[in-house]
Amino acid sequence: MKYLRTISNNQLFIGFLTTLLAWQVIYFLIDTHTIPAPMETLIYLYTMKLPVLLHVLASMSRVLVAVGIALIIGVPIGIFAGINHLFNQFFSPFLYYIYPIPKVAFLPVLMLLYGLGNQSKVILIIFIIVFQIILSVRDGVRQIPSSYFTVMDSFASSTLSKYRYLIIPAISPHIFSGLRISIGISLATLFFAENYATTYGIGYYILSAWTKMDYIEMFSGIVALSFLGILMFKAIDLLEAKTTPWNKKPF
Amino acid sequence: MKNKDAFIRLSDVSYRFGERAVINQLSLSLDKGVSYALIGQSGIGKSTLLQLLAGFISPDSGSIYINDKKLIKPRVKTGFLFQELGLFPWQTAFDSIKMPLQMHTSVQKESLKSSVFKWLKELQIEDCHERYPHELSGGQKQRVALARTLITEPDFLLMDEPTTAIDAMTKESIQALILAQHKKQQTTMLFVTHDIEEAVYLGEVILIMREGGKITRIPNPLFGIENNRETLAFYQACIDVRKHINLEMELDEVFTHNK
Repeated sequence: MKYLRTISNNQLFIGFLTTLLAWQVIYFLIDTHTIPAPMETLIYLYTMKLPVLLHVLASMSRVLVAVGIALIIGVPIGIFAGINHLFNQFFSPFLYYIYPIPKVAFLPVLMLLYGLGNQSKVILIIFIIVFQIILSVRDGVRQIPSSYFTVMDSFASSTLSKYRYLIIPAISPHIFSGLRISIGISLATLFFAENYATTYGIGYYILSAWTKMDYIEMFSGIVALSFLGILMFKAIDLLEAKTTPWNKKPF
Repeated sequence: MKNKDAFIRLSDVSYRFGERAVINQLSLSLDKGVSYALIGQSGIGKSTLLQLLAGFISPDSGSIYINDKKLIKPRVKTGFLFQELGLFPWQTAFDSIKMPLQMHTSVQKESLKSSVFKWLKELQIEDCHERYPHELSGGQKQRVALARTLITEPDFLLMDEPTTAIDAMTKESIQALILAQHKKQQTTMLFVTHDIEEAVYLGEVILIMREGGKITRIPNPLFGIENNRETLAFYQACIDVRKHINLEMELDEVFTHNK
């Protein structure tokens, strides 16, 4: 009973079991060699854990570097757009034009400008997620009640104090929301970013298995990618719980 | 003995909302260490006057002087207790009270901590220091906001309906706290209230505001007398103030009618 309760409290484990169950049902219903059995795939992933881990680490590094740079660029622009009405009036229409464009379409341009190495891959991810971060931060700043700024004024606070005690803490939950979406998009982008001039990366691993029509390997890569996603989302959850404890959320 | 020199002076101050002059050429002086209750109808401009005195907004014409210095921006030594309190959801009671002091002084961490705990103890909220606003009761929030306002030891304290959002029992204890702090620190205090009992209990001088920001002063001889709330004289004073307000309102109506 105690174990059952522990399991039922662990939503990650429940999610994993549900996914396996759905996969098993589809495997039985469709019965095609392109969908391998879940257990067979997991065993394959376990036997290939070291090479797969290298691919995962390569992808993770690219995503982390891209997310870090996108934050450095996106947070100040988002704050400025949220605070400065005039800048926002010019910037928002530009953002709305750029935001829906599939940035992957610019991949050939980025390859020409930044070469075939890691630089163009990381820049592609930055290009895709930076707008999401800018939007999240801008909206976060705009949602700060004006009465909070008056409170800061009542203490004759400096601009720096306003950032330290009001703006940065107020937008932190929005940065984390933006990060979650950005990481999801970044992982999905890996397929495009890692399909040229590399032999490492989970995107490359999946695409290479696909071209070889090795579906067990392909699915093991997909499972590894989902594990990477969970790892990164959980890391964000932990970081958020640590830095914004007032903003407690379940799971 | 109280220093009765004018600490705050408003000289021909006007402030308009569009076409309407909420405050029209108001001249007023407030003495050092005196507590003023500001009462009047809703929308008459009481909160606007408070915002002008806090330096949040500037008069369209005229000048405000605090301690003989022209007010051009919010002062560190003016405290403001907001009606909606304005506690930040991300700050614990401790962080909230610490913030103003940390902003303006370079005191050591330990001395900062002891200052905050002094105020937490003073306002009887020591046990709440790690709690966020959503974990505090209405009265506790009020005390945290009051401690946050008082920690910088303001020489001028403005309060916008300080006890509106709390229950009757808590209200009395907060009022007693405000009065005790006022007596202890001799702060010049101006507070807006709709509660005549609060005005008589906390106000040494009651200011009745009329249309255009005209102000009538009523001295309150009952101010500061211990347990005055338990006397008949207190309730008689409340009735007298109410009569004054009605008279002022009638004057406003006659004035508006004759215009």
